[in-house]
Amino acid sequence: MNTTTQTALRPAARRAPAARNPFKGQHRRRMLQADLLTVIAWASLAGAVALWLADGGAAGFSTLAGAFTAVGIVAGLAGMDLVLLMLLLAARLPVIDGAVGHDRALEFHRKLGKPSLYLLLAHGVLLAIGYGLAEGLDPVSEAVALWVLVPDMWLAYVSMALFIAVVVTSLVAVRRRFPYEFWYAVHLLTYAAVLTSLPHQFSVGGLFAEGTWQRWYWLAVCIGTGAALVHYRVLEPIVATVRHQLRVSRVVAVGHGVVSIEMAGRHLDELSGSGGRFFIWRFLAPGQWWHPHPFSLSAEPLQLDADGGGRLRITVRNLGRGSAALARLKPGTRVAVEGPYGLFSTASRSRRHVVMIGAGIGITPIRALLERTPFEPGDATVILRGHSPSGLYLGDEILELCQRRGATLFHLTGRRPRGAQTWLPESEARSGYRLASYVPELADADVYVCGPAGWALNVLDDARRAGVREEQLHYERFDW
Amino acid sequence: MRIRAVVSATLASAGILIAGWQSGTHVADTASATGTTAGPASAGSTGAGTGTTGSAGSGAGSSSKSSSGSAGSSAAASGSTGSSGASSNAGGTFAGDVVQTRFGSVQVQISVTGGKITDVTALQLTDEDRRSVQISNRAAPLLRAEVLKAQSANVQTISGATVTSSAYLTSLQAALDAAHL
Repeated sequence: MNTTTQTALRPAARRAPAARNPFKGQHRRRMLQADLLTVIAWASLAGAVALWLADGGAAGFSTLAGAFTAVGIVAGLAGMDLVLLMLLLAARLPVIDGAVGHDRALEFHRKLGKPSLYLLLAHGVLLAIGYGLAEGLDPVSEAVALWVLVPDMWLAYVSMALFIAVVVTSLVAVRRRFPYEFWYAVHLLTYAAVLTSLPHQFSVGGLFAEGTWQRWYWLAVCIGTGAALVHYRVLEPIVATVRHQLRVSRVVAVGHGVVSIEMAGRHLDELSGSGGRFFIWRFLAPGQWWHPHPFSLSAEPLQLDADGGGRLRITVRNLGRGSAALARLKPGTRVAVEGPYGLFSTASRSRRHVVMIGAGIGITPIRALLERTPFEPGDATVILRGHSPSGLYLGDEILELCQRRGATLFHLTGRRPRGAQTWLPESEARSGYRLASYVPELADADVYVCGPAGWALNVLDDARRAGVREEQLHYERFDW
Repeated sequence: MRIRAVVSATLASAGILIAGWQSGTHVADTASATGTTAGPASAGSTGAGTGTTGSAGSGAGSSSKSSSGSAGSSAAASGSTGSSGASSNAGGTFAGDVVQTRFGSVQVQISVTGGKITDVTALQLTDEDRRSVQISNRAAPLLRAEVLKAQSANVQTISGATVTSSAYLTSLQAALDAAHL
């Protein structure tokens, strides 16, 4: 039997069940924020179409050529609006990250990819047909004429080709065949695609001719998006890197292929409370500096002196070539940092009870969350899952934290049964255990799950079947 | 929560679209209003001329309905140029060719007194869609002022109205040729 179950501390007496839920207000505000963002996103799309309607665009439907042109223009406006929304979703805006989390934002970002491409393709094709009909040309000749004769249009064609390349390389089937770096490099072309598409919008499209309020609106939206990207993806990371002055202080082996990287820096008190949230790290060593690593803290930052000088720690496993090189980092290596990002933290708590479930290297953010997220003794459950006891990384630290804070701890080790959809080891699964077997108050608890994607989905399914609502489930995806 | 988001997003989007639609019909109204005021204005400006003015006015009236028909009437208008060609340097009104563009037809008419261009009237301007009408309404007065100053078709095109400007100047050149200026 390679399974151990440990109970760190059972509350002597259960307190009154009607205890107040301290996270109710926070949860309500976050849901309101998410709803507001949804409304703004849809309103921006409606706004893009309204720009054209306000220009009397609907009158174009009186002729066949006009109808093609009108639909083409609307498709272009809507497509560009979606592209801008996609950029904002990937811009790591605190207002979006704090409402839905980084991974959900990127999920929406991915969902918008194909619709926006289809709209932009429709824009090109329909306008070639519409203009062609008006001039008595076939669409192909019209497209060639537009390319040759109309200024800025060749840039628009380049932009279209770039957009196609970006979306195609992001399709799951295609993405799996290439290394992450290739996809990343092609994805950077998005910026080139957007920039090359801008001139024709303002010079060829009559809607944004000089002196129209529509031109000002569109300029404001484009410039606002660009400014948000520059601020949150370039300036903030540089400021954080310069402010915290992080350097690797030591690299400690934690288990087979797993290392903890400790870093020393300044003003680390500002990063406390972000346990469970993740940062993007770049180790500024030769051959490594360009490789961003998304890792959570595996411990709250330790403050050593009054001005915030201190240490923090991440724990990583050799998952790829990039991660393997991390084990050989030399002390003194400078570290660039972006973040914290994500909602795998106290900020997403909605209930008094909390359940934290981690598997493999996914245990490390659980460790940081456990350290600080507020709960009364007896209100928290920690479940660690690994192939063997040596795979329960930081297990000793977690046991100590559970004892100190009064959380219930379970260690679940062993292989899972063949062919069965379960997150449990074979013996537990055969005994008919479920998540609710470990956590009686599951339906009224926040459930934090971190681990490999397939395993995590099984945990989430189990929780849903026990009546846990979607808003109580907190699962951060770390794979790209 | 999600229902709340869906309902408010739907209401907000519908509101924005309706507001856009309403102001769009408003734009259409004002555009047609300026169209009708432009008619009498051009008739008034060419009031100095004689019978040819009347035909030009009717030509403009028919052109607003169908652009192909106006091409025919413009030929007639240039025919009238021939009748007034005898008194070219003395003065009169001369209509230029109809120039077709992606955004509609353009035709201008000049009034000449004592060998000088005293007025330029647009008989037709790019009016394919509301935007073109707005661009035309902006560009035409500027072009007219430039032409009156330069006394030729050798003036700069208006930025943001390149197509309209070049068609305007092409038609103008034809009118100047007709007037032997």
